[in-house]
Amino acid sequence: MKEYQPKYVGTVTKYVFIESPEMTPTDFAIKAYEVSDGVMIKETCFGLQITGMPDEVDRVLERIRSFDPEHVFVKDRGFPPGDERRCRANLGGARPGYFGHEYEVNYVIRSISHGLSALKAREPGTEADPPSPVKKTYLDTTSLKKIIERMEP
Amino acid sequence: MANVFIYPATSLILSDLVARFGHKPLGSALSVREHIQTAGFDSPPLQITPEDAKKGLKYAAVEVPSGVRGRMSLYGPLIEAAEGAIIVNDADYAFGCMGCARTNELIMFLVRQRGIPVLDLNYPANEKEGEEFVAAIKSFLDTLGETA
Amino acid sequence: MSRVRIAQLSCGPEYSGVQKEINDAAAAVDAEIFFPDIRLADVRRNFTSFGLNVRSPDLKLAIARAKGLVEGQLEADAVFIATCFRCAEAAIVRNELRRYIHENSTLPVVSYSFTERTTSGTLLTRMEALTTIARRRALLARERQEGLTMGVDSGSSTTKAIVMQDNRIIGTGWLPTTEVIGSAEAVMATALKEAGVNREDIQAVGTTGYGRFLVGEKIRADLIQEELTVNSKGAVFLADCQKGPATVIDIGGMDNKAISVQDGIPGTFTMGGICAGASGRFLEMTSKRLGVDITELGPLALKGMSRNVPMNSYCIVFGTQSLVNALAAGNSREDVAAAACHSVAEQVFEQQLQEVDIKEPVIMVGGSSLIGGLVKAMGDLLQTQIVVPQYSQYIGAVGAALLASGYKKFQSGG
Repeated sequence: MKEYQPKYVGTVTKYVFIESPEMTPTDFAIKAYEVSDGVMIKETCFGLQITGMPDEVDRVLERIRSFDPEHVFVKDRGFPPGDERRCRANLGGARPGYFGHEYEVNYVIRSISHGLSALKAREPGTEADPPSPVKKTYLDTTSLKKIIERMEP
Repeated sequence: MANVFIYPATSLILSDLVARFGHKPLGSALSVREHIQTAGFDSPPLQITPEDAKKGLKYAAVEVPSGVRGRMSLYGPLIEAAEGAIIVNDADYAFGCMGCARTNELIMFLVRQRGIPVLDLNYPANEKEGEEFVAAIKSFLDTLGETA
Repeated sequence: MSRVRIAQLSCGPEYSGVQKEINDAAAAVDAEIFFPDIRLADVRRNFTSFGLNVRSPDLKLAIARAKGLVEGQLEADAVFIATCFRCAEAAIVRNELRRYIHENSTLPVVSYSFTERTTSGTLLTRMEALTTIARRRALLARERQEGLTMGVDSGSSTTKAIVMQDNRIIGTGWLPTTEVIGSAEAVMATALKEAGVNREDIQAVGTTGYGRFLVGEKIRADLIQEELTVNSKGAVFLADCQKGPATVIDIGGMDNKAISVQDGIPGTFTMGGICAGASGRFLEMTSKRLGVDITELGPLALKGMSRNVPMNSYCIVFGTQSLVNALAAGNSREDVAAAACHSVAEQVFEQQLQEVDIKEPVIMVGGSSLIGGLVKAMGDLLQTQIVVPQYSQYIGAVGAALLASGYKKFQSGG
């Protein structure tokens, strides 16, 4: 069996997804480079990947978030950027995890951005009332009986 | 700052919101990173080796498929370290690390077995639900922060 | 030779530590594994329209990719389906996708259920067969043997050689495998002698079976080919059913093969995977215990009634225990022989034949096909008249001799 020697030990890599109506990922990248402070920044189709020692990355991320807090989303990544084990060019297709991001970014994230904006204006102490994930309730027999009776001639 | 297990563990949204509100999201990437940054036998792409499937025996018996046990070797330690959890129940399109329904059922069960605070949600379907989704997470994390 | 691109449809290999083994097995036969690119919108649409509503997202992805391959949205030369052993949900998907791809495209497909102990060695023969079908369709289309050629099948139990001339078998050689090269040399000498020709006169040689590489290199074979494709060709050639569907079953000394064939080309197949209680070895043990030669076991079994003796184990140790108990309980040797044959047939039926589509004619080949009791038991289970062609025990050698005759021509672009 072949030995494995890891690279970038001790670093962290974070994905930065940018869903900003104001700025393109390229605009973000240019501004991010300005505050990068030696941290590795890689531009991607959805935003950026940032790699460095944990403290440095956090510092840079704080700055990047501040550009447009409600439209910048950050997540850890297990692999360093451009790793051939996860690269689309080598796999032939996207790594499976990509679809999960695609789902959240395409279908959910705008609601989250809205939720973040609305949070500031929210009356303190207002209880959150998200839709219950508990499955739907069923029709009780009395109501069902009434429906049947209504339909009978 | 509390350790918060997120489900789906690959979620960008949950990872972001937990970190944004000052806590540590526990998701797949942390375990994958640990594998990727540890020397050993070469086993691309995730550096999960047959040994990890054996480590998963701590969470599932040998009769359970290897893919479940291998995944559990990623998630088991995260669940053990969690002080709270946020679960999105309708995460039907989270693949890869979250690609196995049997593992996912076991993850949810083990999280609830821990007896830690759990916030159950669905993905928001519109802006109004988005507001409540974010507010619920914020409020859950604030409470968790007070006890952690 | 161009690199064969194998689309992987899977759930679990990356998390079982076996993805590298899959990649290595493919690389060993100059193929590459890839994950067909597909958009999330297509994943959702393809999965929904396929109609198998499984819960695991990675299985949904596998279904969507399979649909994309069949409908031509995605391109590949072959398909490899891999899911975890013991996962019921995945087993359903694996079976349905294999059938779907087989029936709706010309893509060769093989499926496998792995554990964390699966190695590239286990997968190699399957990958080799998969790439052969993708790469050498022209070669496999050969239906007539031409010129003077020889085939050698270096199997785990026995070594066989066949000399063929102008579509006829003119020489045979058969020996138990002891020393791989030595056994091959000996059976070749016998076959050449029977044919009345010299080694120098042979125009092309093909090798197959476990020892194919070693023997093939030693005798400078023109074709070195795994036994799945070679046996398929040999079977349909000998049974004279080169067109249309057929099913080839080979219960071997160490592993079993079940191949679903269309026009002489394997579509889906399974091999190995069960314990020795479901192999030719168990029947060898049985004949020893009954004090008869293996050639006498079949006729003995045909006189007995299998249902009189409880025997149903895929483990050779437990199987032998049942055998000893049955004899001690006073059962007749005929009934015990019949029960042993039925037990082997039943294990193969339950564990392996479920993974291929059984289409008539069903052809049994290999040394075990000469055991009449086993053929009858299999026929009873499958409710069909099994075809056992003449020379069925030489199947690999015949297939190799047949394919070798086209190989040189094929290489020169014919």
